[in-house]
Amino acid sequence: MSDANVASQAYVPFRQGLFRFEEGVGELLGGRCRHCRTWYFPSRRVCAKCLSQKIEVLPLSKQGTVYTYTTIYQSTPEFQVPYILVYVDLPEGVRVLAQLTQCSPEAVRIGMPVEVVFEEVGRDQEGRAIIGYRFRPVGPWVRES
Amino acid sequence: MEDVYVIGVGMTKFGKHPDRTAVDLGAEAVLEAIKDAEIDPRRIEAAYCGHVFGGMVTGQKVLAQVGLAGIPLTNVENACSSGATAIREGYLAIRAREHDVVLAFGLEHLTTRFRGALTPGEDDLEAAVGLTMPGIYAMRARRHMEEFGTTREELALIAVKNKRNASLNPYAQFQNPVTLEEVLNSRLIADPLRLYDCSPVSDGAAAVILASGWAVAKLSSRRAVRIAAAALRTGTVEVGLPSMAFEELTHRTAQDAYERAGIGPEDVDFAEVHDCFSIAEVLRVEGLGLYPVGEYPKRVARGEADINGRLPINPSGGLLGKGHPLGATGVAQVVELVRQLRGEAGDRQIARAKVGLAHCRGGKAAGIEGAACTVIIATR
Repeated sequence: MSDANVASQAYVPFRQGLFRFEEGVGELLGGRCRHCRTWYFPSRRVCAKCLSQKIEVLPLSKQGTVYTYTTIYQSTPEFQVPYILVYVDLPEGVRVLAQLTQCSPEAVRIGMPVEVVFEEVGRDQEGRAIIGYRFRPVGPWVRES
Repeated sequence: MEDVYVIGVGMTKFGKHPDRTAVDLGAEAVLEAIKDAEIDPRRIEAAYCGHVFGGMVTGQKVLAQVGLAGIPLTNVENACSSGATAIREGYLAIRAREHDVVLAFGLEHLTTRFRGALTPGEDDLEAAVGLTMPGIYAMRARRHMEEFGTTREELALIAVKNKRNASLNPYAQFQNPVTLEEVLNSRLIADPLRLYDCSPVSDGAAAVILASGWAVAKLSSRRAVRIAAAALRTGTVEVGLPSMAFEELTHRTAQDAYERAGIGPEDVDFAEVHDCFSIAEVLRVEGLGLYPVGEYPKRVARGEADINGRLPINPSGGLLGKGHPLGATGVAQVVELVRQLRGEAGDRQIARAKVGLAHCRGGKAAGIEGAACTVIIATR
């Protein structure tokens, strides 16, 4: 096995088909209907608006704004509480749910600009990093530390 | 098509029943409904059982317990709308003149399955990033606060109202009222929602006997309550950026029910709605058109939704006060409609109630606005 192969297998995405991640840089993947141009995240087999099956997978914008948020204090055992959840509206007209990092529960606001980041969210049974997507504040919202 | 009536109702006390099984609870509710209907159980031609986590052939096990094994039975799963969907299946069978007397029941033994926050389901993408059911409603509450100026105290007053109503209902899980301060000081579950904003984990069962107009005349059931509509819808795929402060799914289901019943929201005298969380009652009532959009929390604060108010909501105590054994919930709502319309609701009786509405909304999956929604309208 070559070194390149070892490097490419050093991590696994937490779900297939949601994003591209190479050499520490990633982007979310949406689906756009070729017929009516409606976007979806995740991509879909059939366009819910026009029922076309011609959906192309394309990268989504990295930045968006917080539509709504909560801090979770009680969850299932695999999650360490508290953590912040945000629904983020992207310019393509899709809404993505993810955790918000690098922000305190007191600082999160509706309308806050955020950007997607790709982080280790756990380890699999073989010790490889599981990579997932989160959002973090951008611009004047970034917390000084 | 044939008219459909409820001729008998029964339910167990909702709460924690560590020494009993779902089947045992189901049998108790079914036997009470048969007794209440004052019929020979052999007249029941078919049965529908709603449950979520009961496992395989749970309904059949109940039938065997009560001496009804042998008749056609269908187990129904539609998340928190399972029980209401079971009633609708029975309603349709009578409408279609396939049967004249049908049993519909729901049951759940949730305390042996869960503690704490439920999630949309382990395979769901949003659950995989950390979404819980309290979490989704917390985020909807945040939008309602942003768009309509709803306050934290106003949401708490919904929990206070429903737990007060529950204290008048001997079948309810919570028998004691709570104060505004107790709600506001209960521990955070998903900010801004606190423990008393959330329905509890509950065990319980409920049952109704449905009958055709022909059977009601034949059996001379004098206490029959008519089902004027039983509507069911599924959530559509979310396209674009829909509002999370208004329930399109509830609105669409209600429009269907109102049209079928020939009744508008202005004719409804009281409603049992799916208040799995305090904010959920707001979204249901506004989606149903019972109160103006954005105004319900302020109307609750003025007492309009109280048992003696202009338009009472959740006189039984709702899910917040009575409890929420998933499969039983939708059936128990119809039990309350029938008891209110018959004038048999005791200390929580609503004066001059002629039209009651029951609303359930169950399930969540990434990309759809909600899984299943039911609206049942009953008239005296």
